[in-house]
Amino acid sequence: MYRYDEFDRRFVDERVAEFRDQVERRLTGALNEAEFKPLRLMNGLYLQLHAYMLRVAIPYGTLNGRQMRMLAHIAETWDKGYGHFTTRQNIQYNWPKLKDVPDILEALATVEMHAIQTSGNCIRNITSDPFAGVAPEEIEDPRITAELLRQWSSLHPEFTYLGRKFKFAVTGSEHDRAAIKVHDIGIQIVRGEAGEVGYRVLVGGGMGRTPMIAKELRAFLPKADLLPYVEAILRVYNLHGRRDNKYKARIKILVHETGIDAFRDQVEREFATMDRAAVTAPEGEMERIAAYFAPPELTEKPSAPVAFERMKTLDPDFAQWVERNTSAHRVPGYVAATISLKPIGGVPGDATAEQMRAMADLAESYSVDEMRITHEQNVVLPHVALGDLYKVYRGLAAIGLEAPNKGLVTDIIACPGLDYCALATARSIPVAQAISKRFASNKRQREIGPLSIKISGCINACGHHHIGHIGILGLDKAGVENYQITLGGESTEDAALGQRLGPGFGYDELPDVIEKIVDIYLDLRQGRRETFLQTYRRVGMEPFKEALYATAD
Amino acid sequence: MAKEFKPSVVTANDLIEGDSVFLGALGWVRDIAEARVALSRDEAEVLEADGVAGEDANIVVGPYLIEVSVATGRPVPVLRRERIRVSGVPTIPFGVAAPAERRAA
Amino acid sequence: MPRLIDRLGPAEDIWTVLGAEDPLPSSGSVIVALERLDEALAAGLELGVHLPNDTDPERVKPHFDRLSLISVDFPSFTDGRGFSIGHCLRALGYEGRLRATGPVISDQFDFLLACGFDEVLLPDSVAERQPPEHWAAAEGRITLGYQRGLAGRGSILDARRTAGDG
Ligand code: SF4
Repeated sequence: MYRYDEFDRRFVDERVAEFRDQVERRLTGALNEAEFKPLRLMNGLYLQLHAYMLRVAIPYGTLNGRQMRMLAHIAETWDKGYGHFTTRQNIQYNWPKLKDVPDILEALATVEMHAIQTSGNCIRNITSDPFAGVAPEEIEDPRITAELLRQWSSLHPEFTYLGRKFKFAVTGSEHDRAAIKVHDIGIQIVRGEAGEVGYRVLVGGGMGRTPMIAKELRAFLPKADLLPYVEAILRVYNLHGRRDNKYKARIKILVHETGIDAFRDQVEREFATMDRAAVTAPEGEMERIAAYFAPPELTEKPSAPVAFERMKTLDPDFAQWVERNTSAHRVPGYVAATISLKPIGGVPGDATAEQMRAMADLAESYSVDEMRITHEQNVVLPHVALGDLYKVYRGLAAIGLEAPNKGLVTDIIACPGLDYCALATARSIPVAQAISKRFASNKRQREIGPLSIKISGCINACGHHHIGHIGILGLDKAGVENYQITLGGESTEDAALGQRLGPGFGYDELPDVIEKIVDIYLDLRQGRRETFLQTYRRVGMEPFKEALYATAD
Repeated sequence: MAKEFKPSVVTANDLIEGDSVFLGALGWVRDIAEARVALSRDEAEVLEADGVAGEDANIVVGPYLIEVSVATGRPVPVLRRERIRVSGVPTIPFGVAAPAERRAA
Repeated sequence: MPRLIDRLGPAEDIWTVLGAEDPLPSSGSVIVALERLDEALAAGLELGVHLPNDTDPERVKPHFDRLSLISVDFPSFTDGRGFSIGHCLRALGYEGRLRATGPVISDQFDFLLACGFDEVLLPDSVAERQPPEHWAAAEGRITLGYQRGLAGRGSILDARRTAGDG
């Protein structure tokens, strides 16, 4: 993984010192709240319902044991002993005090971490595929590109006071686990006609109150042109994006109102006339970064070691977990193992300091000291030998994180909602918990098959409800929580926005409603292989609508 | 027609600590029971201005009025959001208590 | 409180901002609104122009050699269009003085300089809370940035190469 050199280190140290000074100037009043707010946001610090919240970047979701231990240490020293992993591969602390935040950032810097641009109207931390460097079908490790973009976007003098937040995601595989189609800029690593590696660039995707699927801006961009090209996009956006209405300020609206072709013309014109050479990364920089992401030396191992097979027979729970929570690795004899942070009835994405340390132990012992945070708010141990898998499983069981539910109905994404968030209109976590409990049975979950439920506590859609197979949006209807349901959303390469089922439902009705939707699917599906999404795409909304509203009164 | 006036208190977040505070008789307090309650529109205006003064003095952030019911003596916010906020914690077991509760269940 | 600040600290403002109705003076240094640029150009004064931040920078390019100063409006410090306008003016070849006018904050000083600005003109509301010391402290607080090709700010990417060569 990427390691800081002296320059990266000085950059982050200076940034921490700057924030310490900003906090001091805030306390003296030299900076008023209106001035301080964007500055603190750009250092990851929000003010939420009950307290400040600090969002720490985990660049492209990759971290090692030492870093995870630091996250645990911070949770215990300056917070309430836990943290929340987010859909953008970050971790949030819910209870820091303003006066402690410079110390927290300083502690993070000692393990090469920071909270730079995890919030604010700037280019946010770059996200990527949690299976980067592992997935067999990958063209190139997307983290190399993500790191180059992280550097380019950090404190960019021209693009740090944008009209609105700006999110990049990068995937190196055809199969998109980074949700690039719902990002402001989505980058897919592709091969050109001569087999050379380059980028397909998408623009204008996003969620929020006007969800949109990104459009293709460039089918193929030579690798060396990446920085000037994204600079051209950002310049057009910064100059022409709307500033009159916060809800129309994202680049998706500019692209939509300008039209993708006219927008492309503007970007290409800027790209053609700008001094590209001045911006392009110098020769050797990509290679320098790439060296950090060289795949670990793993010796090939038997693909079905005897002891491993035996344990699967002896411990059916383990067998289930293996089947559900491990994925193919490019080296025979290894898998990537997903640690589900969705125990039945748990808070999606939360982990205690104790759990963090246990995960760090497992990563150090059995996964070349590496972990990944996923868009689904889970953790991946990317390089586990099959022969070690049972030890990993037992280790997870000891901390209550052995749920075999990756991609199943209880692997729910939920935003913090009204339990923490100042903007929320309804609660999301207890909704997730109630649904999770309803579908607690492993057997039943497996019977249902792949199904993603995503819950947001307000129209801002941090819980990505638009791209859940079943999306739940919590609203407030005259003082009462009311939940709108969407069906058919999807986040991968065939991304789609969910369609509204109909009038919303009350808080207490939700588990029944979801169960009913699932039952209808089970009823209608053509064989066990047809997934919820496939069935929905085949039969459409009608049967669901009918069953839910026909008998309503 | 103007909305009917309901008794109100001023709340904000403490600048340094970040937690919810309320404007009391002698300054900002953490217990809503000690909050000054405005019983008329005029009183609410004064209260709100005092709240803004607290922000200008770099003591609190984002002061605003919330409607409360005073039926029990202790002010109870009308809106669910504000009731959760006044409670100071999520509505569910959280953090280290969450896994412990699941284990017990 | 000094309101005009550049790299060297507080500076004296020699420019007069001409109101929309004011007659053009016969001598001196004046800043005019974009709408009066053509009129002012004909008068042969030492000239500056004030640009709202939705101005196309190309609009003033034909007059670069006649303009000693361009002032770019920052209606609020969070409206960052001015950064791109500054960058574009420099990229188009403007070599005169570039001023950011508005309630920007000292924490943005380095970014402004990197985008080609030379100075900031603050309203009193900001100037009284952010004395020149704050601006001096802010300048160069982050020694090297990651971006290349920016005015007055070195790049880590280039420094790495030099370090590697040495
Ligand atoms: S979706 Fe709304 S409630 Fe949920 S975290 Fe985002 S802003 Fe808060």
